[in-house]
Amino acid sequence: MRLRGLLWFNAVFSIMRVALLASATVDGHVELPKSHAAPVQAKRYEIVTKGGVLSTQPPLAVVYLDGAFPKPASLPTEEVAQKNLTFIPALLPVRVGTKVEFPSFDDTYHSIFSYSPAKRFDLGRYRPDERPIPSEVFDKPGLVTLRCDIHEHMRGLILVLSTPYFVMTDANGNFRMGRLPAGHYTLKAWIDSRTTKEKPVDLKNGQTLHVDFP
Amino acid sequence: MNSAVQARNESVASFRTRLFTAIMLIVATLTALGLYLAQQKVAADAERDLQENFQAELSSLHRLEELRHAALEDRCNKLATKPRIHAAIEDNAIDLLYPSAKDELRDLMEGNEPPPEQAAQSLHARFYRFLDASGAVIKPPNPYDVGELDEKTEAQLALSKLPDKQQIGYIQRNGDSAGGVVDEVIAVPIFSTDTGDVISALVIGFKPLELQEKSTGAGIKSGIWVNGQLHLPSLQKSAQASLNEKITNAVANSDRNQDKFRLNVDSTPQLLFYRRLNPGSLFPAAYEICVYPVAYSIAQLHRLRWQIGGAGAVLLLGGFVASHFVALRFSVPVKKLALDSEENRAQRQRAEAALASTAEELQRSTRYSADASHQLKSPVTVLRVGIESLLRREDFKPDVYEHLSVLLHQTHRLTGVIDDLLLLSRMDAGHLQIASTPVNLSRLVDEWLDDLSALPDSPDVKIDKEFPANLFVAGEKQYTSLIVQNLLENARKYNRPGGRILVSAKSNTTDVVLTIGNTGRTIPTGENIFERFHHDSTPSAASGHGIGLNLARELTRLHGGDLRLVRSENDWTEFEVRFSAANGVNAVA
Repeated sequence: MRLRGLLWFNAVFSIMRVALLASATVDGHVELPKSHAAPVQAKRYEIVTKGGVLSTQPPLAVVYLDGAFPKPASLPTEEVAQKNLTFIPALLPVRVGTKVEFPSFDDTYHSIFSYSPAKRFDLGRYRPDERPIPSEVFDKPGLVTLRCDIHEHMRGLILVLSTPYFVMTDANGNFRMGRLPAGHYTLKAWIDSRTTKEKPVDLKNGQTLHVDFP
Repeated sequence: MNSAVQARNESVASFRTRLFTAIMLIVATLTALGLYLAQQKVAADAERDLQENFQAELSSLHRLEELRHAALEDRCNKLATKPRIHAAIEDNAIDLLYPSAKDELRDLMEGNEPPPEQAAQSLHARFYRFLDASGAVIKPPNPYDVGELDEKTEAQLALSKLPDKQQIGYIQRNGDSAGGVVDEVIAVPIFSTDTGDVISALVIGFKPLELQEKSTGAGIKSGIWVNGQLHLPSLQKSAQASLNEKITNAVANSDRNQDKFRLNVDSTPQLLFYRRLNPGSLFPAAYEICVYPVAYSIAQLHRLRWQIGGAGAVLLLGGFVASHFVALRFSVPVKKLALDSEENRAQRQRAEAALASTAEELQRSTRYSADASHQLKSPVTVLRVGIESLLRREDFKPDVYEHLSVLLHQTHRLTGVIDDLLLLSRMDAGHLQIASTPVNLSRLVDEWLDDLSALPDSPDVKIDKEFPANLFVAGEKQYTSLIVQNLLENARKYNRPGGRILVSAKSNTTDVVLTIGNTGRTIPTGENIFERFHHDSTPSAASGHGIGLNLARELTRLHGGDLRLVRSENDWTEFEVRFSAANGVNAVA
């Protein structure tokens, strides 16, 4: 029993060690734009346009490791729902080739479309009971602005990235991203549709790198 | 008399002629003045009417345009809220703009062009285009859907920047008709619903709203001048070219948005108005041009001239009739006046003639008296001298001397009468002048009373005197003496034997009154004793030549006094002579 336990521990430990040794971690802080909006009660975000610049409100950033990575065989399906005439989540980072479903939970029609260069699509008018759930595969990196032809105020963003390594900061701008491959990369922080900050990083296995985007 | 009537009629006729001429002159002047003023007014009025007409039509056009603009603004505001349009512009999907707007703007391009009267209500467009953020035209992927335009025309739709309010412009393109086609284009800004910024503009081309050609203004031509090109298809090519040149000059030389000028088109005078259709627009300036033939107002002027001329003629005629009646009316008093004056003249002439003959007679009689007196004096003198020389002889019988002395006495009387007559005639002729000096009347009366009593044939009368000594009167002694003599002689002559004479005098500061009374036969009332050559109605021994009292009164009057009979009754006759007192001499009295 003890031996079995030891073996199990060993096995687990060795895996952990391999994992620890074979991956790097980045944590840090992204200086987010000051939000003038009232404190959000529910954890809901929306997309706002200011002078043609789209961003989340309150501000969030997406930090990702730029670079060419092998394409996986399959990717999990993501979801951007429409609830109370808003997109949830308001900002969704996905890897290229991800299929995103757009389920509706409003008792009304929605007509989701995008004219963004990264992805033009038009799901047409549909009701919550539409099956299969309307979906789109985002196969080109870039920012996709989601709109509803019926509810003009609705905005959603899908940030299509070619990398699998990305994370969203918390409301304070702190992030932590692990299991990163070692090597020279560029770490980028998407802040809004016009602002993406970047820093070169040298990742080493088993190390945690601290990167701040001031 | 006949000639007088004729003269009077002539004068009335000339009066009428003058009156008529005056009325005619006034009427002619008024007519000319009226004509002149009316001409000025008509010309100004016609021009003003045309201008007002032009302005009113442009205003109505403007109102229609405003309707259209409001509708378009509404449309574009709605359009801008459309997520697809928004997405197409903001997400840089310009190629999707036209397809996205196609459904929204489908009604603009559908159907046929409406008739002009419904053009304002309709939003039927010939074409539309979107402008990008720099004001350039976004090429439509399928021009057929949005109205095909050639490159050049499409380029005219671009603006230097996106407008923040509606802009009106006019563009000319060579369409199928000969003179080309003018489109009214309206650029409507599209505001972002997010930012409020102008993100694009929709430029829509319409058929221009046309001025409603009123039936009154025949021959009015209206068109549009834009970018140095005149679009006035109803005018001939050559006329258009010259007109275009003039308008271009006028627009270039005037910074005003509207003006007018006269010009000749096809050798007919025209009045041209122009007014900027799109003041303040980013599009090139366009002007509405209206050409009004002045012929209409000239015809109106001609008509008015005839009317005023006719009115003047009627007025003249009325004046003629009026002058006739006025002359008739006025000629009655004038005639009467003429008659009256004629009568007056005749009367005056008669009076003058009478006066002249009277004066002549008077003069003649006066002269006769004087002549007679002179003629008489010499023979009487000769007679007296002869009698006196006879008396001086001593060889006659005593009774001869008596006769001779009677004769001599008579010649003395005759001389006295002649002297009196001479004096009277001198007075009548006004030749007698009084040299007034203080005369002692008291002494004078005393002397004469002495003389009277000394006369040989004095009757037995008693003489009483009641006057102060040294009573002075103003007068000439000779004549004063004559007055006193005459009165005293009468008092003695007409007295009765045993009678009485009372001479009294009294004086105050201005007058001295001498009263001479005598007894004897009284003078009957009504008998004018002061008349010249008066004779008693009752014969008596005492007789005079009848000029003594007359002479005395004339002389007293000449001296500024008077002689009057105070009373003659009950054996008492009393005369009163009033003399002027000699100044200051009678102070003691």
